[in-house]
Amino acid sequence: MGMTPEAGPQSRAERGSQIRVSRLRVRLSKRMREDLRGYLFVAPWILSLLVFTAYPMVASFFFSMTDYNILNPPRWIGLGNFTTMFTRDPLYWKSVVNTLYYTALAVPLGIATGLVMAMLLNQQLAGIGFYRTAFYLPGLMPAVASTLLWMVLLDPRNGLVNSALGLVGISGPGWLRSVAWSKPALILMALWGSSGGSMLIFLAALKEIPQSLLEAAMIDGANPWQRFRHVTIPLITPSIFFNLIMSVIGSFQVFASAFIAGTGGAGPLNSILMYMLHLYRQAFRYFTMGYASAMALVMFLVLVGITLLLIRSSSAWVYYEGAERR
Amino acid sequence: MTEKRSPLHTPLSRRQFLRFAGMAAGATLLAACSPATPDTTDPVDDPVDQPEAPVASEQVTISWWNAFSTPTCQEVFPQVIEAFETKYPNIKVEFEISGGPPGGGEYTEVLLARIAAGNPPETATIWSPPSQYGARGALTAMDAMMEGAELARPDQFYESVMKSCEWQGKTYGLPASAGAGCIFYNTTAFEERGISTKREDFPTTWREIKELSDELTVWEGDELKTAGFVPWTSGWLNPVWAQLNGGQFFDSGELKYKIDSDVNIEWLEYWLSYLDDQYQGDVERFNLFGQFGDVYPESAFAMGINTIDQSGSWACTDVELPFEWEIAKLPVGPNGTVSKTGYWPNWFVMPKGCPHPEEAFLLCEHFCTEGWVIWYKHVMDTPAWRGFPDGVITEKLSQVVGEVRAHDMHEFFAEYLNDAAEMWTSPIEDFANDTFASSVDEIMHKAKTPAVALAEAQALCQSRLDETLRQL
Repeated sequence: MGMTPEAGPQSRAERGSQIRVSRLRVRLSKRMREDLRGYLFVAPWILSLLVFTAYPMVASFFFSMTDYNILNPPRWIGLGNFTTMFTRDPLYWKSVVNTLYYTALAVPLGIATGLVMAMLLNQQLAGIGFYRTAFYLPGLMPAVASTLLWMVLLDPRNGLVNSALGLVGISGPGWLRSVAWSKPALILMALWGSSGGSMLIFLAALKEIPQSLLEAAMIDGANPWQRFRHVTIPLITPSIFFNLIMSVIGSFQVFASAFIAGTGGAGPLNSILMYMLHLYRQAFRYFTMGYASAMALVMFLVLVGITLLLIRSSSAWVYYEGAERR
Repeated sequence: MTEKRSPLHTPLSRRQFLRFAGMAAGATLLAACSPATPDTTDPVDDPVDQPEAPVASEQVTISWWNAFSTPTCQEVFPQVIEAFETKYPNIKVEFEISGGPPGGGEYTEVLLARIAAGNPPETATIWSPPSQYGARGALTAMDAMMEGAELARPDQFYESVMKSCEWQGKTYGLPASAGAGCIFYNTTAFEERGISTKREDFPTTWREIKELSDELTVWEGDELKTAGFVPWTSGWLNPVWAQLNGGQFFDSGELKYKIDSDVNIEWLEYWLSYLDDQYQGDVERFNLFGQFGDVYPESAFAMGINTIDQSGSWACTDVELPFEWEIAKLPVGPNGTVSKTGYWPNWFVMPKGCPHPEEAFLLCEHFCTEGWVIWYKHVMDTPAWRGFPDGVITEKLSQVVGEVRAHDMHEFFAEYLNDAAEMWTSPIEDFANDTFASSVDEIMHKAKTPAVALAEAQALCQSRLDETLRQL
């Protein structure tokens, strides 16, 4: 088979080009395969984010502008739910005040309790592992079970708490049957159930504090309080910051204990009608899912706002090792 | 030479990938959330109301949801189902007694979601009235099926109880039980005081029972030793108390709330007078002395701190009291004419879109008629079915109080239900009940006067009702 002299080099050039393209294709295909592989690995997470978080959020935003009772198609009402919420629902503001009260007490007390427990469990004592486990165990108990347990303990007449107070001459309060004491009762339950989690984080942070810093402070004449105030606290501020954000979000969303302790109601004079309990009742008891969605949206925006404020404030009081304070 | 890149060979950008993933997820969700059968028809015109097809002769499997899981439920409900499957061998019932819907989750949440998604169970037991679900088109109307029913015809149930299943002339459920409310009193304590323990001697008016309560109430200084009667603690009977004084909560005919009527204000002032005259005027302090309301263990009644209380017929077998006790009718107010009872049924419903409505209705009918005979032998949850066979008594009650008294109590409740109050008939029932309970709480805490609190409750309930009616 003959071949023209011109044809030979042209063919070689073409062949060379084809080979380059083929190699390029191989390279691209490989890159694509790698990309695809990566995306496939993260696909379950992304899909679940889209399906179980992003879609409900978008849907909830839409429903907040509608009159929607779950069972029938939603009807667009614009800002009607928000008008009702802020001007016509007397229990809305009650639930806001109750939740703010709860947050204002439960968050600092929870952080303080977790920190104190962590410091106690940071000692070099025999059997400390047992204590660490024991202190963390309440956090593993389901909220329903722990609330029921506390309802028995806090019974004004027969409960263990008031009986113990009685032994030292204190007449115990009505706890969940009292307007003034029902929210502190819920806070007490929360402290018992959730301090273990923050304790664990504080304990890890305390372990990270270089002993040399504490020893240097001691040599410089710092007493235990000064060492705690000026060495320990600054070094665990990232943990305090993390616990603070998580506690604020958790406190705004308190539900199970109020729901169970309310036994179908919301305590005397609606004193434990927390925001989420009110929201739940609107959605699933009163068939006003649109209104509940509006409540959820407001809660979301408030939490975003608070979290951003905390993050912004962190530059003034959170110390990260190796970072310069601005 | 320029290389033409095939889109197929282009690595996916993050944005593209997320877009594709979003589209795929969206499509999946839309498919999952769409009703199985698009349905925008008015529930009243639902073609399911007019069934023509006979019950399938081939094997059919239907599902039943229930939210209780007590040992008695575990023991007895399978017996009820077994009797049904024996009667209808072509129908198999799938169920579980786990305390929630199959797969877990909160019962009402999951049930509503499944109805909305178009894949509900064939039958379900609910404890909020069918009227509020039926009004929103969540349930299948049963009227046509009831007309041709063997046992569950409309006139075979207590009229008042049946009304709790109705909305705008359609029937959206069947009541299995009509656990009737009544007075429970501690006859041991009565005997100690030399007071007659006979039911016929028990006070029949508000004035008489308050006098008796005063006689039974004992204080030692600031310490309450024994209370007589604390009338405001059984919230589910509130609509009954209104009707005991000739008043009303909700008029289902006129679709109007009548909470702030003069007779209702008088009723709440009567309750407040107990607090002031017998319990030192401070409800918070009073509550320290016990858990008032109902007769269950740990309640003030069960512990002997309260002498007279209120509960439903089921308490006769649910509770083992450490003293002798008796039941009586609720007392009549100055504007009332006859003692009324209340009831809290187990309602059996067929959610909208259930695939086998004919078979589902047969199961509802069975549970609310012959099947309840099996249940009633274990728990004194009085039947709503008038055709309930004579002579059937609750065996557990018979063992505790004897056969004669067990028969007597059965007859008492069966007769009392003829005077059942109208309740559970509003499409905003739960909202109204919660709102009214809050008002009572405010009144008893003296945060508001009865007139003010009831006027506010009236305004809230009526505006919510009007809003709901506009949407339906």
